[in-house]
Amino acid sequence: MLTLKRLTAILFGLGLVIAFVPENTTKPYKLSAADMLTEVQFGTQMVSPDELADWLINKDPSIQLIDIRTPKEYEQFHLEGALNIPLSKILDDEWVDYVNQGIKMNIFYSNGTTLSQEAWMLTRQLGYENNYVLQGGLNYWTETILNPSAPSLFSADDEIAKYEFRKGASQYFGGGGVKSSTSQAKSKASKPKIKRKKKKKAPQGGC
Amino acid sequence: MGPLIPQEIIAEGWNFFIAFVVGVGFGFVLEQAGFSSSRKLAGVFYGYDTVVLKVFFTAAVTAMLGLLYFSLFDWIDLNLVWVNPTFLWSAIIGGVIMGAGFIIGGYCPGTSVCALSIGKIDAMIFFGGIFIGIFLFGETYAIIKPLYMAEYLGNIKLSDVLGISQGTLAFFVIIAALVMFYVAEIAEKNFPRKEY
Repeated sequence: MLTLKRLTAILFGLGLVIAFVPENTTKPYKLSAADMLTEVQFGTQMVSPDELADWLINKDPSIQLIDIRTPKEYEQFHLEGALNIPLSKILDDEWVDYVNQGIKMNIFYSNGTTLSQEAWMLTRQLGYENNYVLQGGLNYWTETILNPSAPSLFSADDEIAKYEFRKGASQYFGGGGVKSSTSQAKSKASKPKIKRKKKKKAPQGGC
Repeated sequence: MGPLIPQEIIAEGWNFFIAFVVGVGFGFVLEQAGFSSSRKLAGVFYGYDTVVLKVFFTAAVTAMLGLLYFSLFDWIDLNLVWVNPTFLWSAIIGGVIMGAGFIIGGYCPGTSVCALSIGKIDAMIFFGGIFIGIFLFGETYAIIKPLYMAEYLGNIKLSDVLGISQGTLAFFVIIAALVMFYVAEIAEKNFPRKEY
């Protein structure tokens, strides 16, 4: 019983201190220019079309696509499930709950990457997290996912595997670039089998 | 400076090696604490042996205080520490199934491997059961999926939901743990049972 009393005294004391100290005293609300430069150089905000296609096919509930282009462009074509937040409105109160949140993974996209990168820079500078940019934008999406081009015969195995994945994804998203190979007709009806990649996160543990 | 791997102070390749070392240590400690006896875990439910409860709550409280103090001294950036995503229904239903398994089988997945490695037959059967469970889950995944994915809340923390600071929540967790320790002591006195 003595040890329990001693334990109580120690834990209670430590708990009391931690309850009253302000948390995260050193956490900067805004990122410094040097921090931004590091992030930009490493490209940590980039999401490749292949990753995105994989998540969309698996209906990952943590993904929120955000279309940064004008409403007119959005109406003409947009990815399924995307929200339209034009760049000029990204800082409006109306959208702040969408771009500054800790639940979903926002993926900004525009035709290229200029607009989406600008949107990311603005929100990142404010210290918002969970915002990402679709690498290459819709143009690159069309080129790689909707109309993938076949690698040469002498490509490395992973190049060919990537192409196989893109072919499957293209069918899923209704792209036009899939021709040839006899097995295609059969597999058209069923959903393409695509292995789910793990997102870049720390390892999990348990009992 | 921490966490060490996301900050690339230790290369990511070391992840598995560190996990291996920690895993071996974890298994060793579980075995040494006597958790490879199924009576230990079942005892928590019946109240005659609450060591498991004490050990895991002590571990949780120690880790919690450690992280918060490290964060206070700026030794670790808590924003980079992985928080398990919450799928509410999965957590509730999974918790009930897991809890029932603890009482019926007397092992948690970790302790079953410990007991298996010292040659306990019931642990081998329990371990086989894990794979049957995995197989059934895999085979019925299409049916379960809507429920499995329901109520996705993101990587939330209890302190965010309650709107209080992490430190205050930690204090309440410590109080809860201490109350539980005292209740456990009383329970052990009231429901004594011979040690095997």
